[in-house]
Amino acid sequence: MDRTDVGALVRSAVDGDAAAWKALVEGLSPLVWSVVRAHRLSDADGHEVYQTVWFRFAQHLGRIREPHKAGSWLASTARHECLKVIKSLRRLTPTDDPQLLDRVSEDRTPEQSLLDSEEAAAQSERLRHLWQEFEQLGDRCRQLLRVLMASPPPSYQEVSAALGIAVGSIGPLRQRCLRRLRARLDARGAS
Amino acid sequence: MNDMSGTNDINDMSELSDLEGELRAAAAVLDPVPAALRQIAVEAYALHDLDARIAELTFDSLVDAIPVRGATDVPRMLTFDTGELTVDVEVTAEGLMGQLLPPQPARIEVLDGPRAGAALTADSMGRFTTDAPPTGPFALRLRTGGEVVVTEWLRA
Repeated sequence: MDRTDVGALVRSAVDGDAAAWKALVEGLSPLVWSVVRAHRLSDADGHEVYQTVWFRFAQHLGRIREPHKAGSWLASTARHECLKVIKSLRRLTPTDDPQLLDRVSEDRTPEQSLLDSEEAAAQSERLRHLWQEFEQLGDRCRQLLRVLMASPPPSYQEVSAALGIAVGSIGPLRQRCLRRLRARLDARGAS
Repeated sequence: MNDMSGTNDINDMSELSDLEGELRAAAAVLDPVPAALRQIAVEAYALHDLDARIAELTFDSLVDAIPVRGATDVPRMLTFDTGELTVDVEVTAEGLMGQLLPPQPARIEVLDGPRAGAALTADSMGRFTTDAPPTGPFALRLRTGGEVVVTEWLRA
């Protein structure tokens, strides 16, 4: 999402423009969600963190010092809430089981319905394989790529806020993780 | 792989970008933001309230306290502060126990989202209790004197 747009939308929302708020939710929800998913919370915990983040953002709306950095604010708040959940559980709840693939098919998005058509079946299969290999990556790569694949793509500032890693290390790490994923896909194709 | 020429590097980068794009498409299909959650976030705009003062979370035993070895099921201790008013809250399995400082009566609403929440009062000593713990995100809206104070949203 364009950073200058974010700043303008935040200011409009502060002034009472509900449509601007909705646009912020549409544009930045995938980022917040990606942070929750990157931390592998259970569904219940993840949903609560997502809500807490948006409730707090609404509460602080008129007091956000740098409106154009609202994405980083949301990502950082989501990260801290995720870490609190993990701390309170003292264990990670994995979501890399087949259940995830089953579960996601219940809530049918327009994109999914499109994939139901026969000619799209091959593409659907390819995305599922890609997702399976992504889920098998190590924690660090899986976390980074899950946040990077938010749509629209997050800025490195936002990724840094989401995962607590230095902006300068994101580029090299991104390349390394994508290469690793590609190698897994190549190995899969060869077998 | 390390002795790639510049052209190959560029090709490699563009291939990796394509792969990232495919991942983005996969996430949109296989792990989208649940529609119901998105709707809750849209409705959360109602929580935007310029007139209320925010009592910021200044202490959370989950992150600020040193854990006691062997102690399990310790209550969560929270402190919210506006600078003039402090709200201490203890979250237990039975519910919330709170204390306003300086001690004063208040009308309190326990919010669990954009809609109106359960109402209770703090006595003249500033004490209040609820009979059930919050089940998700919560905030307290306090009316004391002429002022409205809302605690920072938190997941109990």
